[in-house]
Amino acid sequence: MKKYFQIIKGTWAEHMEYRLNFVLWRVRMVMQLLVAYFLWSAIFTNKQQLFGYTQSMMLTYVLFVNVVRTIVGGTRTQDIGVMIQSGELSNYLIRPLNFFRFAISRDVGDKTLNALCAMGEFLLLFALFRPEFYLQSNVFIILASLIALSLSIIMFFEFSLLLSFLGFWTNEIWAPRFISFVLMEFLGGVLFPLDVLPKALFSFAQILPFGYFIYFPIKVYLGQLSSSDMIGGFSVSVFWVVFFWYLVHATWKRGLRVYTAVGK
Amino acid sequence: MIISVSRLTKYYQVHKKEPGLLGSIRSLVARKYETVKAVDDISFDIAEGELVGFIGPNGAGKTTTLKCLSGLLYPTSGDVKVLGYTPFERKNPFLKQIALVMGQKNQLWWDLPAVETFLLNKEIYEIPKDQYKTTLNELVELLEVGELLKVQVRKLSLGERMKMELIAALIHSPRVLFLDEPTIGLDVVMQKKMRDFIAGYNQLHKSTILLTSHYMEDVRQLAKRVIIIDHGKIIYDGKLDSLVKKFAKHKVLSVVLDEYVAPEKLSEVGELVSYDFPKAVIRVPRSASNVAAADLLQKFPVDDLNIEEPDIEDIIRDVFTKSKS
Repeated sequence: MKKYFQIIKGTWAEHMEYRLNFVLWRVRMVMQLLVAYFLWSAIFTNKQQLFGYTQSMMLTYVLFVNVVRTIVGGTRTQDIGVMIQSGELSNYLIRPLNFFRFAISRDVGDKTLNALCAMGEFLLLFALFRPEFYLQSNVFIILASLIALSLSIIMFFEFSLLLSFLGFWTNEIWAPRFISFVLMEFLGGVLFPLDVLPKALFSFAQILPFGYFIYFPIKVYLGQLSSSDMIGGFSVSVFWVVFFWYLVHATWKRGLRVYTAVGK
Repeated sequence: MIISVSRLTKYYQVHKKEPGLLGSIRSLVARKYETVKAVDDISFDIAEGELVGFIGPNGAGKTTTLKCLSGLLYPTSGDVKVLGYTPFERKNPFLKQIALVMGQKNQLWWDLPAVETFLLNKEIYEIPKDQYKTTLNELVELLEVGELLKVQVRKLSLGERMKMELIAALIHSPRVLFLDEPTIGLDVVMQKKMRDFIAGYNQLHKSTILLTSHYMEDVRQLAKRVIIIDHGKIIYDGKLDSLVKKFAKHKVLSVVLDEYVAPEKLSEVGELVSYDFPKAVIRVPRSASNVAAADLLQKFPVDDLNIEEPDIEDIIRDVFTKSKS
């Protein structure tokens, strides 16, 4: 197990090596957050409720997006696509190392550091703006939202791995990833909560995995979901987690066969 | 036998594209594939502690063979056993005993000091602390890189990085070491240092080393045994000295003359390779070398005469040109 801890430590050290890069990345996240925050504050002037959200709920949603997005989306799995392309993957195949545990360790390293910063930013903004914040008091709902968050972390990890594994077959690993970024912003609930969308589009978004990366865990926290919505949502996320799990293993196995047949 | 390869074959499917945009579009619709025989039915055995040089021109199949041996490539057919394992299964006990260094790829953590990668490898290979320290100290001393351990890898020169790559690969004291072009891109001084290190390491640890290189000098200085491969086939497998006897069809007479002799007259003895009075170099068939030498001494005012074997590089070039046609 120590080897995987060493990988986590190395990932931290890498971030420290490029302090400015890391700081600017965080600044970018905060800027995005501020834009969304002021936008929704402006929309809510003179209005009590909009799309079924009170101002405090909407601002809570927006503030949480930053934290959840950082925890869920913080990943190093995109490097794997490059590793496959360049043949650097060989360096990992040649060592007695479980590649999945390696990838997980990298992500744990990345997520912990980013999550720490996101928490700090969250508290800072909170102290600065003193927004009306919706505090969930029901322990079960908090627990459920944490489970939803865990599921989305796993789901996104698998999804991102799949995008990287495309590298086994094609040189174009970035285009699919960029498309998925856009989809995630739009259908994942980064820009706005999904239930703001027209009903047909919202129903469609509910069966896609994207909504479960960001929107669902926050929505659970806000306590706005009926129990049938909750059960439905959890079922769909579990389905995607399991389905992606199967897909990840299948593509890894087949991809490795291609890789070792061609030998980059 | 620590490595045994029997009838190893590796074919690739390579897709062919005609030049130009039209060719690109055409290749989208109907791809033409061509089978490349990277390694074509080769067999050899290597005993523990041997240092074998693998030589051949670009694309001869050297790297492909090394990759098959280290488990990175799935062979098309044939049987490969290394340390009693089938490499492609990549079982941990197998991986723990081998190392592969590719001159053109790096395993070092690029943005961190090299020592971080060594520490990672210490954990990956589960090396006890004491053993790690001893091995690292020994390697650092041999390669003279003490001060560089804490420098970011990206800031190291190519030669320094190559040394670090070697340390990273040797930190678990592998029994079998595959070196793919370890001296590529290095300057002459650094090449020599590398060579000395590899030879010393092989002596000290009795590890089995299989090394590929373009540079004859690497092989000449390191390996007693060479395997020459071209177009996926083994052309020669044996001692370097015997290679000369087997393939050198000529000997070289180098003569220092007392007086000027017309080149046409010298040509009667054999093929005149160069003539820069008073020095002449004449190539003669191997079997006729004694007769030719006696002939020279009789006919011309000779000050000095040497009968030499041709350069190994020339011989190998000969071998490769022949195998092409």
